[in-house]
Amino acid sequence: MFRSHNVAARIFERQICTPAPGTSIHCARRFYENLVPSCTIYDVECPDHSFRKFTDDGRYLISFSRNHQDLIVYRPTWLSFSCKDENCHDLPLKAKRFESFFTQLYCVPLASSSEVICKDFFLYIESNQFGLFATSTAQIHDAPAVGGAIQGVPSIEKITFHLLRLEDGVILDERVFRNDYVNLAHSMGVFLYDDLLAILSLRYQTIHILQIRDSGNLVDVRAIGAFCREDDELFINSNMHVPMNHVGNGLQHNEPFSDISFLSGIKQRLLSFIFRAIWNEETDETLRIQCLKKKFYYHFQDYVDLIIWKVQFLDRHHLLIKFGSVDGGISRNADHLPAFFAVYNMETTEVIAFFSQNSAELYFLFEQFCDHFHATSKHSLYMNFISSHSNNIHAFEQLRFNKNKASSSSQFVKKMLVSLPFSCQSQSPSPYFDQSLFRFDEKLISATDRHRQSTDHPIKFILRRQPYSLKFKIKPGPENGSTDGRTKKISSFLFHPVLPLALSVQQTLFLQPSVVNIHFRK
Amino acid sequence: MGSMLGDWPSFDPHNFSQLRPSDPLNPSKMTPVTYHPTHDRTIPPPNQVISSESKNIILRHLYQHADEKLRPKRAAFENLTPEQGCKHPRASASDMPPH
Repeated sequence: MFRSHNVAARIFERQICTPAPGTSIHCARRFYENLVPSCTIYDVECPDHSFRKFTDDGRYLISFSRNHQDLIVYRPTWLSFSCKDENCHDLPLKAKRFESFFTQLYCVPLASSSEVICKDFFLYIESNQFGLFATSTAQIHDAPAVGGAIQGVPSIEKITFHLLRLEDGVILDERVFRNDYVNLAHSMGVFLYDDLLAILSLRYQTIHILQIRDSGNLVDVRAIGAFCREDDELFINSNMHVPMNHVGNGLQHNEPFSDISFLSGIKQRLLSFIFRAIWNEETDETLRIQCLKKKFYYHFQDYVDLIIWKVQFLDRHHLLIKFGSVDGGISRNADHLPAFFAVYNMETTEVIAFFSQNSAELYFLFEQFCDHFHATSKHSLYMNFISSHSNNIHAFEQLRFNKNKASSSSQFVKKMLVSLPFSCQSQSPSPYFDQSLFRFDEKLISATDRHRQSTDHPIKFILRRQPYSLKFKIKPGPENGSTDGRTKKISSFLFHPVLPLALSVQQTLFLQPSVVNIHFRK
Repeated sequence: MGSMLGDWPSFDPHNFSQLRPSDPLNPSKMTPVTYHPTHDRTIPPPNQVISSESKNIILRHLYQHADEKLRPKRAAFENLTPEQGCKHPRASASDMPPH
């Protein structure tokens, strides 16, 4: 739409020309090509906190104290200073401070002495400006599998989810899970959609659905796992005490429920769906039974042993659930283990679909409709503009390139589907990561907030469109590079969603204080 | 009707009655040519409301797919489900192949 790169010319053009229908936000975002965080304040003196992220509306900067017990929230502002000299090209020293950009709002202790805040966990409820944090006690590996727990998953004595109002730091509600395990790293075990939370208890194989009310209360909606409908437990309990006199081995007393080995809840739904799908494939009786033997009964025990690994919402009623074997539930590198995906309707308690990890049909949906897996609630409209291979031609071309380069199509599909189910709020909405605006090395920096290997070279952001020039560089670490070239360093980047402001945090692995740089537009 | 609008027809002869001809020296007929449809195949249903589909496209695809799978095999499907709906243990599994 813009014929010139000059910002004043663009502003005049904006006054006159109407953008093409439906592209007004895309056109407005092009001004980010002109306003870039090109100025860096290196190694700014700042409190020694662990900076987590900016909230997706840009109102708050979330950080945790070094001892992981307190939450400190800042308000991002902009610097202002006065200068008495005649030519004031460079910033005066007193402006180059952390406090010029951030005002501390409050410091709230969240964890008691035996607990720590999980510094990788944070979910933001934008509509009410609530934040969800998690604290936990130490993990106990090799915990015994009692009380319905499964083997192989560690146990944490107490996990607490805290719901805070971020405006003033008031704790609104808490939810405690005892002797349980929820995958808190990078918020993988919890998914937020609108006002619904899905918390996956790996140890008890239950998906807890909670609702966050406007008043700040966390309300239980349902628990899916051993039971699907809300009254299943009541039904089974009321029939539990029927004496089992007709059982072959002559037991006369009441059998406790847990010893009866019938599959219940979601496992039953899943297995009956798989059975019916195979049954319906063939009309001929003998072929059908052969198919069943080969595809279902041969793998029966494997299907029974599947456990839920990860969950996400597709909409308010549907969940995408990833199943896998017990060994891979908590480990990071479970890619070599078999995995399956199921779509489950919470209202009708039916499984709608079941896919293997290299399913071509699921890959087709992933390739064409990737954005629809990031269930977009009405409050998170900025999600529509985060670049993905379904909404951006450059990202799509990259995907196609990788697909054609892959030696095995089914391996490629499997590798792509590993990212499902998605974790929520893991991508930064900053326009500087928009692939239509800038080109950058995705191995060094990207919209996904993960720690990366740090290099001494600055990371370049180059314009996608004419004149394809280098617009700005982000260099983590000290200005002249670090003196010690051999220590491994990792960097993380926090980009403000709206302002041309970013923080880069470089840490070494020896608990030395991290080097924080502020990148902004002067 | 003349003027800029041309001699386009309308379904109601009383339409465009307020229009004045641009050329007063040549007052062409004020009522437009009237055409009526000879069939009602293209009339929209009386309570039609057009709105966008709120269901997630992935779910739409999966439900459609599930329907397609079930439709031709309807006969087999009906054989499978038991007649009554309440839960009770299966008496025997005689039609299942041995494990």
